[in-house]
Amino acid sequence: MKRKIKEIAAQVFETQVNDDTNQDNCENWDSLRHLNFIIELETEFDVSFEPEEIAAMTSLSIVESMIQQKRQ
Amino acid sequence: MEFFIFRNMTIERFFSKYKASFSGYEDISFIDPDAERYIWFYLSPIKTNNKVIAAEIRNYIDLLKLTISRIPSGKTLIIFTINDIYSINTITGDNDIKEAVKYYNSTLYELALEHNNIKVLDFENFLSRYSSTELIDWKYYFISQMALNPRLSSPFQDWFKEQINSIELKRKKCLILDLDSTLWGGILGEDGIEGIQIGGDYPGNAFLMFQQQIEELGKQGVILAVCSKNNIEDVRQAWSLNDSIVLKENHFAALKINWGNKSDNIKSLAQELNIGLDSMVFLDDNPSERELIKTVIPEVEVPDFPTQPYMLPVFFKSIAEKYFSIYNLTSEDLSKTKQYKENALRNSLKSTFTDMNDYIRSLEIELTIEEVNNITIVRAAQMTQKTNQFNLTTQRYTDTDLSEMLSEGAKIYTLSVKDKFGDSGITGLCICKLKGETVDIDSFLLSCRILGKGIEDAFMNWILKELKQLNFKTIHSKFISSAKNIQVKEFYERFGFEIISESESVKLYNLDLENKIINLSDNYNYK
Repeated sequence: MKRKIKEIAAQVFETQVNDDTNQDNCENWDSLRHLNFIIELETEFDVSFEPEEIAAMTSLSIVESMIQQKRQ
Repeated sequence: MEFFIFRNMTIERFFSKYKASFSGYEDISFIDPDAERYIWFYLSPIKTNNKVIAAEIRNYIDLLKLTISRIPSGKTLIIFTINDIYSINTITGDNDIKEAVKYYNSTLYELALEHNNIKVLDFENFLSRYSSTELIDWKYYFISQMALNPRLSSPFQDWFKEQINSIELKRKKCLILDLDSTLWGGILGEDGIEGIQIGGDYPGNAFLMFQQQIEELGKQGVILAVCSKNNIEDVRQAWSLNDSIVLKENHFAALKINWGNKSDNIKSLAQELNIGLDSMVFLDDNPSERELIKTVIPEVEVPDFPTQPYMLPVFFKSIAEKYFSIYNLTSEDLSKTKQYKENALRNSLKSTFTDMNDYIRSLEIELTIEEVNNITIVRAAQMTQKTNQFNLTTQRYTDTDLSEMLSEGAKIYTLSVKDKFGDSGITGLCICKLKGETVDIDSFLLSCRILGKGIEDAFMNWILKELKQLNFKTIHSKFISSAKNIQVKEFYERFGFEIISESESVKLYNLDLENKIINLSDNYNYK
């Protein structure tokens, strides 16, 4: 799953990403791409995030744990 | 920048495949002057008071009109129709929104009639694929003002691409029709005038509708013609006696009703109507006739014809949209506007240089000359068809003709031109026929877009040098005058060709290549 998340992130943010990538250290992670990222994640993992969750998903590690929670 | 998009909602995701920049929401204060094209994409405002919504929609038209007066002239503006897709307040029975939408959309079409750089896209055509609950995802509306469901962005982009293609596609001029089993069911020669199926019950009713649809196309300026294997007396009799036939002799600009070869008939239709083969569409139920035309005259569009008459309405719609949609803006036109802009840039450079060579060198022109291949042969043939002014012989060829020449050992060179302002693509062609140690230059032509920079001389010198290196001793060439190529009348003289015969319209030349010294100008990079 981690690999898939990074794959999507790299595609949406049009840059290389790693496990520590977050909104602050990734220049291309702007608000517009953030939503595109969320939409792609929702589609890929067949989950739906609440607006509060979307706002909190500010790093790839948070994203991963959030998806894991949803799928349990 | 391909597009600058005026908008009132968050729609970036829907144009992710394009290089686009966006206005602020309902903000028309800034117009990017360098965008190639503009888009006006306003969605119905999301409010709860119908009167307010209606007033806002009407106000958008004022914003739009102001914007039209301010965008750079000649550049395309693509405008989406507006639709009441959200219908939030459905309790009231008033028609305010409907009326406002109608006003908005009809104004768009009026504007498009007044300004031919304005193209209207019927957004309903896309929206109608979805139910109202699919069109909006309120979560994304509330968190980011995306008024269209972001999940529709992928199908939207496919749809939008089709629309752009149809805007850019050159409209075909002429629809050529077979008769038996195409315009009516059955075979006139066998079933007789009353025996053919037209009007009445199925399948006659399907053919009737098809004829009526074609009649409408004719009213919109599409030239109709017949190419059919029948006895013309039988057909004329059917036209005068069978009242169910809608399309009669007076609907057709030309008739080829005989037992001859259809490819010859279509070629002579093109001559008779004085239009290019590439502006014709041919409909025939018979697959072998279609195959013949596809093979012999590949410029003619030959869509597959439906096997069942009840499929005709869908078929008609597809050909009408594909070939005869009302937009006649070609992709060439679009790239021309770009090139005009580039020319303007070039002109602005002109004054800062001391002489012409200085100016040409500053353009960093790159000439790529290579032998034609499977891919470039189509463009090469197209150039022989389209180039009129800088064309020494004005010989028109199809790609099949060119392939034949290649198999007979001819050398065909294409020239591509690039400079620091842009890539003009393949814009020059030279066809050399080889006979022993002699070369016959059959065609030499350049697109007028690249003239004025000495490229024509560089191209010719490169060809001569190449032929000399290949050990050819003599070159024969000719100038055939046409109504449009007067500017190249003395072209070969510039390279020391000797006139060996001259008549009013043809000059024949000879060049002793063996003793010719050829210098390539260093104003250009050769690849």
